Amino acid sequence: MIEVKDLVKTYGALAAVDRVTFSVPNGAILGLLGPNGAGKTTTMRILTTSLAPTAGKAVVSGFDVVEQPQEVRKKIGYLPETPPIYGDMTVINYLKFVAEIKEIPQDKKANRVGEVLEMLALEDMSRRLISHLSLGYRQRVGLAQALLHDPDVLILDEPTRGLDPKQILEIRKLIKSLSGKRTIILSTHILPEVSSTCDDVVIIDRGRVVAADSVENLSQRLSGGKTLEVEVKGPANDVEKALEKVEGVSAVKSLGGGTRGLCRFEVTTDGGNDSREALFQCVVRNKWVLYQLTPLGMSLEDVFLKLTTKETAA
Amino acid sequence: MNSRKLTALVKKELTHYFSSFMGYVVLFAYFLIGGYFYYLIAIGGRQASMQGVFQNLVVILLFVTPAITMRLWSEEEKSGTAELLKTSPLTVWEIIVGKYLGVCAFFAVALLPTFVYAAFIIANGNPDLPPLLANYLGYILAAMAFFAVGLLASTFTENQIIAAIIAFALLLLLWVIGAAGGSVEGPLGDFLKYLSVFEHTNDFFSGVIDLGNVFYFASVVFLGLFFSVKVLESKRS
Repeated sequence: MIEVKDLVKTYGALAAVDRVTFSVPNGAILGLLGPNGAGKTTTMRILTTSLAPTAGKAVVSGFDVVEQPQEVRKKIGYLPETPPIYGDMTVINYLKFVAEIKEIPQDKKANRVGEVLEMLALEDMSRRLISHLSLGYRQRVGLAQALLHDPDVLILDEPTRGLDPKQILEIRKLIKSLSGKRTIILSTHILPEVSSTCDDVVIIDRGRVVAADSVENLSQRLSGGKTLEVEVKGPANDVEKALEKVEGVSAVKSLGGGTRGLCRFEVTTDGGNDSREALFQCVVRNKWVLYQLTPLGMSLEDVFLKLTTKETAA
Repeated sequence: MNSRKLTALVKKELTHYFSSFMGYVVLFAYFLIGGYFYYLIAIGGRQASMQGVFQNLVVILLFVTPAITMRLWSEEEKSGTAELLKTSPLTVWEIIVGKYLGVCAFFAVALLPTFVYAAFIIANGNPDLPPLLANYLGYILAAMAFFAVGLLASTFTENQIIAAIIAFALLLLLWVIGAAGGSVEGPLGDFLKYLSVFEHTNDFFSGVIDLGNVFYFASVVFLGLFFSVKVLESKRS
């Protein structure tokens, strides 16, 4: 359980984090989404006690980050933006060092290091110097460090950064498999990461929360009415006019004609009406042919752009 | 302070020193220079004493200290590993003392050849042992004070070169401040003289162990570590 309330971090006149409020229930994965410089890292650094907030409150696993930082530190695993690794240590020596400073009991140390090496497929690399590893392996060593003491809460700052597509999928799978038992916050500016990994999403922009909801709700809520893509074989102008007259349709936008006499439209319907049947009947009545009738959800990407570019456009 | 965590931190610092070119260069240069002084003073000058060797080595140490302390915190900050230390269940004191003991442990290795010299002197000359111990103590205490100052300088910046320059400037100040004190009359002059490192090493090197001098070095060490802790704490807010 993580609770953040009215968190503020200012640097001089600049508010890096401005009254950020959100909470993550036990076992959930929260995606912290935002453009670069939005305050994601600052928020995470406050949650991990690396940075003190200017105002507000953050509670991790029941401990206040300002009042009980040592307790919080025992509960969290943190992967910062750049993996905190020492190039001149071997993977295994590094993890042994981390085990010492994270207070892993002496008798469990070797076991735990072995488990984490296996979990991240690092066994073959364990005797190598970290500076000789590729970016992907370094990131994994960073993750191994965060998981080593089996923390209740994981805070991962762009965990898939620098990985190739195959590794990205592996790491996402790993993160998903870690949830349930653990509460996870991960930050990213890569949108598919959130929709594929997270339960909830908090979008922050210029230090402020602009949206917080479950991934599905958010894309639904923001799309307003329903949008359909309609592809019809028929004369474009007539089709457009006919579609506009269909009950429940509020707007029709031409997406241009295709080849072979096909034309495509984006049809927006009001509120909760499902106009698919009416649209189909309309096309049939006019003796045209319906090629496609696809509901378009608003992708997280659209939501993200809509929310974070709103103010700049105005 | 948790001894297990401190041990791990000291071991880590030693790993850094002994896996870097810099560490070996410093050690090698130090062995070479120490050996040269020993040859010149003890063998060439036929003195059954380490006084001259240490007196010169302290001056060399003034130049060497920034090179070995500059990375202590700056590097952690630069490479992002500071985040690991700051978010692990370590207190700021543990982090700083761990680093400090780490550099002291490295220095202990640099001290090894001097034991060989001392053994030669004892075997072939007939030195009084208490002054020899006083010489050693003076040299070690001065080194420990220098390292605390160097560590403090390293907490100021993530740029190692700047950290080295600050350390050197601070150490130089501790050295020349006595000369400034000499040209000022009254209690202020005395105070400035008191701050000077060499004011306090001289007694040791002439074979006298004075608790006041020990107190001076202990104070420099404590203040260096104390302000290092304060700098790190202030960076957090």
